Amino acid sequence: MVATTIIGAGGFVGTRLVESLVLGGETDVRAVVRAYRSFAGLSRFGPAVTVRVADAESPASLAPALRGSSVAINLTTGPPASIIRTTKAIVEACAAAKVGRLIHLSSAVVYGEVTSPSIDDDSPPLRRHWMPYARAKAASEIWLRGRASAAGCQVAVLRPGIVWGVRSPHTAAAAGAILAKTAYLVGGGKGIFNSIYIDNLIDCIRACRGHRGDATGFYNVADREVVTWRDFYAALAAPLGCDVGRLPDVPAGRFPWSARALLDYVMSLPPACGLYHRLKSRLPDAVKAALKASLAGRYNYEGAASGYATKPTVERELWSLQRVRYKLPTAKFARRFGYTPAVTFEEGVRRTLGWLTFLGRTPSRDLSPGDRAPR
Amino acid sequence: MTVKTTVVGCGAVAQRLYRKPLKRLEQQGILRVTGLVDRHLPHAEALRPFFPLARAFDNPEEAFKAGQSDLTLVLSPVRFHSEHTLLALRHKNHVLCEKPMATTEAECAEMIAAAREMGRVLAVGMIRRFFPSFAQLREWVVRGELGEIRSFSYREGKVFDWDVKSPAGFLPGGGAGLLFDIGSHVIDLLIWLFGVPDVLSYADDALGGVESNVLMELEAPGVSGSVQLSWDFPLSNELRVVGSKGEAVLRVDRSDKLAIKKASRFHEVPAHYAYPADACSPCRRMIVPRLHTQSIYCQLIQVARAIRLGVPPAVGGETGKECVRVIESARRRARPIDMPWLDPGQREAYQALHWTNN
Repeated sequence: MVATTIIGAGGFVGTRLVESLVLGGETDVRAVVRAYRSFAGLSRFGPAVTVRVADAESPASLAPALRGSSVAINLTTGPPASIIRTTKAIVEACAAAKVGRLIHLSSAVVYGEVTSPSIDDDSPPLRRHWMPYARAKAASEIWLRGRASAAGCQVAVLRPGIVWGVRSPHTAAAAGAILAKTAYLVGGGKGIFNSIYIDNLIDCIRACRGHRGDATGFYNVADREVVTWRDFYAALAAPLGCDVGRLPDVPAGRFPWSARALLDYVMSLPPACGLYHRLKSRLPDAVKAALKASLAGRYNYEGAASGYATKPTVERELWSLQRVRYKLPTAKFARRFGYTPAVTFEEGVRRTLGWLTFLGRTPSRDLSPGDRAPR
Repeated sequence: MTVKTTVVGCGAVAQRLYRKPLKRLEQQGILRVTGLVDRHLPHAEALRPFFPLARAFDNPEEAFKAGQSDLTLVLSPVRFHSEHTLLALRHKNHVLCEKPMATTEAECAEMIAAAREMGRVLAVGMIRRFFPSFAQLREWVVRGELGEIRSFSYREGKVFDWDVKSPAGFLPGGGAGLLFDIGSHVIDLLIWLFGVPDVLSYADDALGGVESNVLMELEAPGVSGSVQLSWDFPLSNELRVVGSKGEAVLRVDRSDKLAIKKASRFHEVPAHYAYPADACSPCRRMIVPRLHTQSIYCQLIQVARAIRLGVPPAVGGETGKECVRVIESARRRARPIDMPWLDPGQREAYQALHWTNN
């Protein structure tokens, strides 16, 4: 077994990776998290997993947690402004702790809407993207590209698209929108759902971790099939009591600005984002509670909505993701690591629906007999 | 009479939930914090600027030896609840012990006996009994607004985001895990609404550690239902109660309103349930708590009323013990939660690694 430390293990990819390693028989999984609260999702694994708290922006804080590991996996998330600092700190800590290989998770969003079929694993990321997260991920990639040879360890950058499936916040949000019948398709849903099922991503990370040769490089990772957004929504919609044919279609040509979208955009700007976090910590609890209640909107006590939204509120990020034109090639990863995605789209949907049923996200909202605790 | 108060355990619960209400009660002259105790002394010191008359200690024995206090708030990790409560009672303090009361029914019994012997109040902190919507639902159930209650389903879950100051609640051993954490709130609510339930089935996902997902089926006199809790999945965060005349929906995150379905339509109803806001008899001021800190304030007032006026606390030792008994009963029936989303090999490994098989 390869001594491995997972940095940012408290997120949904990290939790699933830890689970996969433990269920695979590993008994010395090392997890690094930002705060004690992240122990909640990891503590069920008991002594097989050692969880440590460290500051991912501080090499001095990270290095002791990495000591003795052959591989470090960077799954950290956080505000865009912290992404590049975290990347640099982790590389420095890996060098100090003499870690042999760093697997860094980037994102396919660095290629924006993938407007050309010639974009491959080694194409430079977009430097100008409207989304701060995409810019930060791109900046990290650019920095890593310049440092890869001098990093003191092999740096493998994996570039997944949308990570979907069990525990995915994206999938939970999509299911929520389908149930509320506020989901929408952009340009007829013909855009490419540039994605990877969570378990396929975990397999990619494990393949990279266990690779005997040099793993250094930049790799797109994705599911096997070419899936459109319409395919994705259609697969989830019927079991959730929704007719995908009745979802409204949003033109792909020009983003339909709304007050909400404008607010989201302003909030994404660093000064506004900073001001928001300062205000959040200073506002009285009563004011925060009142604001939260007023923004929450009307609650549907019936569970599933009956009518379809005719003029949905369009989020710019989702609108942009639905405009992706080409599936990113993954042949480089397949060649280097001898990997073929094991979970098909159909199987991923089956597992995801099993999870959504477990959550009570089915129209009846009751636990089905299969979910009930055995007596 | 100002109630001199020692706080044992100065972590997140003390700092985020109790600090403001304690400060307010000090300003009202109802209570004064005289001792702050935490094994990790900086946590106790962090509260001192708010309570300048209090001294900070790193163990409760020293605090009790050093000062005269009338009331002890036990806010330490659950595994210490019994030890700290017994110590406080032996020093003739009344006690408000945070939920759950202890890790075992036997510990609860010992705490109750000690309180009885010393003639002191033993209250258990169940903040949700001071949420107006919860109290409103109980009133509907008791008054028969929903008719004969037939079933309930409770779901509460999200990615855990409480900014805890230590990992105590996650480390295997007594009192850790989701069932003790959120589960104790839910079981107390069900006891309050329907009477003490029997556990028909229980399943969790712990593999040698503490559970982060729980599924239970329970049966109280005349009513049965299911409970699903999660520390890492988003759930609907609702209690649905179905009766012969209607259905009610209580949202766990909204203490100011709830909904009732009659004639096939849900009607949202504001909850204005008020609680005493002073320790006088008769009570001269009532408040409707809207925030968690206000509910804690009402709970502390009620403990002060129990000490001064002999009014019983919302949750006393016997009810606290019933809650722990249900938790113990659930754990005796534990099975692995079914996870159909795992591949067959992982499902097999998960079953084999589940704590009930080791």
